[in-house]
Amino acid sequence: MIINTTILSWVTFIYFGSAIFYIFRMVTGKEFWGPPASIIAFTGLIAQTLGLILRWLESYKMGIGHAPLSNLYESLIFFSWTIVLLYLIVEWRIKSRNLGAFVIPFAFLSMAFASFSPNVNSRIQPLIPALQSNWLISHVITCFFGYAAFTIACGLGFMYLLKGLGKDEDSRPFLRFLPGREVLDELTYHSIVIGFIFLTLGIITGSVWAYSAWGSYWSWDPKETWSLITWFIYAAMLHSRFVRGWRGKRMAIMSLIGFASVLFTYFGVNYLPGLHSYF
Amino acid sequence: MKKTFLSFLSSLRLTIALLIIIAVASILGTVIPQQYGGGEAFRHLSPGLVKAFRSLQLFDMYHSVWFIILMGLLSLNLITCSLNRFPTSWKLFKKKSSLDRSKPFENLSPDSVLVIEGNPHEIIGRVENLLKKRYKRVRKKDTANSALFYGEKGTYSHFGVYVIHLSILIIIAGAIIGSLLGFNAFVNISEGECTNTVYLGRQKGIKKLDFTVRCDKFSIAFYKNGMPKEYRSNLSFLKDNNVIFQGPLLVNHPITVNGIRFYQASYGTIPGDQVCLTIKKGNDEEIIRKVRLKDSFYLKEKNAKLTILRIEENLMSMGPAVLINIQSPEGTMRFWAFKHIEKIKDRIPGLFKKVPKFNPGLFKPYYFTLNRIEKKYYTGLQLSRDPGVSIVAIGSFFIIIGFFITFFSSHKRLWVRVDEQEGKSRISVAATSNKDPVGLKREIEHLLRHFSYMRG
Repeated sequence: MIINTTILSWVTFIYFGSAIFYIFRMVTGKEFWGPPASIIAFTGLIAQTLGLILRWLESYKMGIGHAPLSNLYESLIFFSWTIVLLYLIVEWRIKSRNLGAFVIPFAFLSMAFASFSPNVNSRIQPLIPALQSNWLISHVITCFFGYAAFTIACGLGFMYLLKGLGKDEDSRPFLRFLPGREVLDELTYHSIVIGFIFLTLGIITGSVWAYSAWGSYWSWDPKETWSLITWFIYAAMLHSRFVRGWRGKRMAIMSLIGFASVLFTYFGVNYLPGLHSYF
Repeated sequence: MKKTFLSFLSSLRLTIALLIIIAVASILGTVIPQQYGGGEAFRHLSPGLVKAFRSLQLFDMYHSVWFIILMGLLSLNLITCSLNRFPTSWKLFKKKSSLDRSKPFENLSPDSVLVIEGNPHEIIGRVENLLKKRYKRVRKKDTANSALFYGEKGTYSHFGVYVIHLSILIIIAGAIIGSLLGFNAFVNISEGECTNTVYLGRQKGIKKLDFTVRCDKFSIAFYKNGMPKEYRSNLSFLKDNNVIFQGPLLVNHPITVNGIRFYQASYGTIPGDQVCLTIKKGNDEEIIRKVRLKDSFYLKEKNAKLTILRIEENLMSMGPAVLINIQSPEGTMRFWAFKHIEKIKDRIPGLFKKVPKFNPGLFKPYYFTLNRIEKKYYTGLQLSRDPGVSIVAIGSFFIIIGFFITFFSSHKRLWVRVDEQEGKSRISVAATSNKDPVGLKREIEHLLRHFSYMRG
């Protein structure tokens, strides 16, 4: 096994550990479990960054140098990297660890899927002609930062709905631990704005790339179409908030629907015929 | 009636409904294969269903009349709602707040009031300097021993949403221009051939270019593991027999000639005009010779001239064969040399008696076998001209600008009152913002911190 994949499969366990600590913290309602959870997540992020850099260097050693963003394995790794990076920034900004239990598991699942699924090939492969473009990096980075922001919004949505479940909030320690609804709502909104901007940038960079590779900036390829559907869902969400003043539960539910669309754009589309077959 | 229709057209309800309908329709389009006219994929459907699908244009959904109507409605909705709302935003942009207001300071939270040591007159000057640095259009109203300031910033934030909506309309306009004035076409050209006729995609039919494209060579390079590394077509573009452009065409690196962009889209092979012939003379060693169609060579011993007259990829379902003509002092003879002659002989006993022309040993003592027909590549080119691209690009650029204005700026309005309270200075800060309450709170805290350093 090559060193980078070894490191990256270890990162899977690190994120698993971190997720467990975050969940423990929430369930027991004791801050005691919080700092280790953050430290473990941060360690995982460092190790993962190292793994990605090594993989990049490795590809150059093989004479087929390219950024590690070129197949399903690498995109899953990068997806979890963006989730943890964005999450840790949010944690640091809002100075609260409550969100961790809802977000870090996604990073773990993405890593686990990459490392253990028999359908995901972890070998470094050279770039086929269609992928040999300067737009590859900017397209993938913008798309996955968008996906990660939507993941965080989804985690917040879960949290909001969970909080809504507890009628007598004081009776359940872990519900009391969650931040106030207004804070959650505001955070959901901010994550969706960030995700929406990155998704738009992802669609634009993808169009520029398609214009130089496929002969048309928009060809209604299933992935393009689904990214537009996702864009519509979040656009509808932002409009109902801005114009109608929708808040709270409705936003939480919409952030879950939006995330389902994101997941389908990412994975489901692979089962439809189209041009994006390499992701 | 007219008014209710207009308000329906500009309503958010219509926007959301259209977004949902277009989204659902698009999902349909990703499930039903989109091909020109339906194609092969739906052969297992009943003919009635295929007919119904076809009449609804479901096989080319994104260009169907009803999809275009939906998009048109969305544009109309965008235009009317923007026009509806714009005057309100313009008023907010232009609005001048009256200065002699005490209203903003009613119900002010104690956190927003600061009492510091110092003479109000000195403090007023310092407050004014600070506000002028941080705000535009700062106005001041003095009374006996107090002053009232008003400042605002981010008035342009009211326009962000219009920038976004206008950008979307620009993108749609660019797409319409592209589909009306542009075209998409494809053509296959084999190595050495040239053409000026290409096949239109969606519009169907053919198109004559006012120049000729020649494929000089097509090549594929592979990585060590067998994956393709590069598809390259060496193309020449000719006009009146003069080369106007020449260069390699690679995936991701289109070539533009006379406003038409050429893309490396696919490739394939066809039987070429060169064959390898295995020649065996009696018990001698076999020799292999390459011959082109219509070319000849000599069999010296018999003073015979051999010519390849025809190359067939599959002659009478018996596989590849070439027609050989031999001219010698003994006379002229013609016969076919097959590639799989042994198999054919086994299958049809007495073949050479029935059809002497299939006997590869007709010209004794030679025995000819077709070794292989050399393949020739053809390159699959995609062509497009899209005059709407630059418009779409401009729209895409401004949509991002619009996002930043809409999401990251807010119209902040600030009232600061400085007056005297028991020999000290009292500073009260009131503010409103059209969005981003968190940012506003941070701004107020920031100002109060600065004010607290001003003590005399």
